[in-house]
Amino acid sequence: MAETISRREFMRYALVGAAALAGGVVAGRYLPLGRQVIYGIRRNLAITEALVQMVDQTFVYHWAFEDLSGMPPMPSVPGPLIQAIEGEEVQLTVTNTLRDIHGFRVLGAPGDVGAGISILPGETKTIEFPAPEGGSYMYFDHINLPVNRVLGLHGPMIVLPENGNTPYSKPTPNVQRLFNDLGTTGHFPGEPWKPERTRIWLFNSIDPRFNEMAENGQPIDAARFREEVLPRYFTINGESGAFSSHNHHTVPSGRIGQPHLIRIMNAGMNSDSPHIHGNHVYLTARDDAAGGRRVEENVRFVDTFTSESGELMDWLLPMRRPPDIPGDERVPLRELIPEELALTLGGVRQSPLKYPMHGHNEVSQSAAGGNYPQGMVTGYEITGDLDGVDFPQSPASEKGGPPEAH
Amino acid sequence: MTLRNIPLRPVSNEELPEFHKHVCPPTFGGGPIDPVTPTRRIARDLAVNIGLDVPGSGRVPMWVLEDPDDKDGGQVFPSKPIRTVEGDVVHARVGAKLNTHTVHWHGIEPTPMNDGVGKHSFEISGHFTYQFATRQAGTFLYHCHKNTALHFEMGLYGALIVDPKKPDTPEARYYPEPPYPPGGPGYVRAYNPPWHVVPYDIEALWVPDDIDTRWHKLAHDAFMQKCNPDDPTAAENFTRDGILNDFRPDVFVLSGEARRADDDTPFEKAAVHAKVDQTILLRFIDASYSVQEIHVGLPMTLVSQDGFTFGVGPTGQYNRPIEFEPNQTFRLTAAMRGNMLVRPTQPGRFPVTIDFFHWISGRKLYTAKTFIDVAP
Repeated sequence: MAETISRREFMRYALVGAAALAGGVVAGRYLPLGRQVIYGIRRNLAITEALVQMVDQTFVYHWAFEDLSGMPPMPSVPGPLIQAIEGEEVQLTVTNTLRDIHGFRVLGAPGDVGAGISILPGETKTIEFPAPEGGSYMYFDHINLPVNRVLGLHGPMIVLPENGNTPYSKPTPNVQRLFNDLGTTGHFPGEPWKPERTRIWLFNSIDPRFNEMAENGQPIDAARFREEVLPRYFTINGESGAFSSHNHHTVPSGRIGQPHLIRIMNAGMNSDSPHIHGNHVYLTARDDAAGGRRVEENVRFVDTFTSESGELMDWLLPMRRPPDIPGDERVPLRELIPEELALTLGGVRQSPLKYPMHGHNEVSQSAAGGNYPQGMVTGYEITGDLDGVDFPQSPASEKGGPPEAH
Repeated sequence: MTLRNIPLRPVSNEELPEFHKHVCPPTFGGGPIDPVTPTRRIARDLAVNIGLDVPGSGRVPMWVLEDPDDKDGGQVFPSKPIRTVEGDVVHARVGAKLNTHTVHWHGIEPTPMNDGVGKHSFEISGHFTYQFATRQAGTFLYHCHKNTALHFEMGLYGALIVDPKKPDTPEARYYPEPPYPPGGPGYVRAYNPPWHVVPYDIEALWVPDDIDTRWHKLAHDAFMQKCNPDDPTAAENFTRDGILNDFRPDVFVLSGEARRADDDTPFEKAAVHAKVDQTILLRFIDASYSVQEIHVGLPMTLVSQDGFTFGVGPTGQYNRPIEFEPNQTFRLTAAMRGNMLVRPTQPGRFPVTIDFFHWISGRKLYTAKTFIDVAP
């Protein structure tokens, strides 16, 4: 089995609900650990380069972070997930293996790393900082902003709060009330949010003309880049189209009443307008490109919201029973819509219920100038009813529990 | 050092049908599946070719969804609004007159078969009757979800408005029954105990859009990937000469009225004519591929967004209406919707501007101007 799993599959940025996989029970609870978790935390990172294959099989030169403690080490775009608990000392050793100056910055972190640390070619720097307050973060190369970030040097960081049942150290009253109500009220029956029910959706957009300039060692003027960049590929967690739509590290999966947190990070140059089907989502936090964090006071329930270049936002996907299915809401869906759940169309069964999330600036749904929908698209799946009974023929691996370890 | 490759992950044989369906959905017709008796029936056929007048530039080809039961006003851009009433069970018969299409009821949340996304269900060949409830009163959208970058741009969209029922109050008898007439009067869902509806006198549907006229010469299936069920990810399936990543709008539209990029003539069709102390309901639907910043020279209250009403019902208890000062920025991107209430207390002509910014460079592309006229 092992040899059928590609390096990409093994090394690619992944966030799985598999605490067991990475052995992570910390402070008495499970954490949403990925395959490439840097955790605890003393790790070596390299700033390096790689050829990343796009959805149409074209290879495009990227700058990339590499986790040198990987077995064996491999670069990835986005970079590896860094995960910590608020206040925990994070120590990252970053080596610049490239021929130009690069940098490391975590927006919203305290001290030097929050402002950005420069690393000369061949230089190694040790970066230490206490994990900031609970929330979503993006780390990136801030040199020649936004060029180096967009060309591959970015990755996600998650900080969980020391206490509480929300993803935040300082939840607003409305966010606190929302998380208190999940699984305990008539309008959100089911289960509370659990940290392992988390997905990261990290967007990027790639204009290979500029990547080629980087490969050839040509300087890229940031002002010109902003004005002329014309992305040809649009990715989520480094994948596009059918790949990002069918990767369970990206796609939330669970029964009705199993809410998920989605941490959206936009490393790309374009703003987008991500739209989710089947459920509205609560907009619980937004971070601006200057590092300002805002847990929302006024927690809107939306199906589409602006994702700005360089910015982050968190969505709470309640995984409600899709509210506009006609019929008696007390009847389980497996009894209310048996014909649909039994139907197979195009060789794909209509069970479980699958819904997309995609950029509604539909231009981001293109790849190589067309080929809809091979761009910035993924989705989620509802695998069973509230009472714990799965829809017909939902494989056990789709129940929302840990996926099978490779 | 030789460059290392990060290849696409391998696709297992079990995944091949999903990967194939992602770009080549099957066709299907008939419906509804798991039928429930409807309380409202609607019909739309697509795609119908019409022309959009652009002063100084002739006509731009558009595709719209027509109402086949409306021989006089069924073919318009944006496509004719659909109105239902909160609590309705809707049967929407959609005919694909030309090619295959879908309709997605944006913000309405039914099963995947009724959600109108080909890769998670099918594309309509012939006709299909979608079935969904409209349980929330608010402003929604319907649009074709095939080759969507192009089909949405071409005009295959329209407003889907879900009206609340009338409250049980003495003055309600002076108002029409829902669905309310276009332009008002009617009731809108908004925080207002105990009924959580607010009567309005005038309703305006403000739908900003932008057009890249180069795109409007393309065919329905322009730059689509080739279907290859045995090897759906093969490099040779992909088209490589497309322009659907390159959006350069040269015409700007507000609620179906068009202006060339160099024409700053105010938009007349969207202008609102009201009287002091009347209540105006502005329904915003962003149908563009730009970022918009809207400024209205009057105080406004955003009472709902994306069909859910702030402060109302169990899901609305974590939010509240948002007050806007005169000329405070209201920012929208594609497919977002908002309902604004405006109650002018003084007469005058109040300016409205909508700035369009490029979705990548952030460069300002155009400023659409209209106004709200308030008579004493």
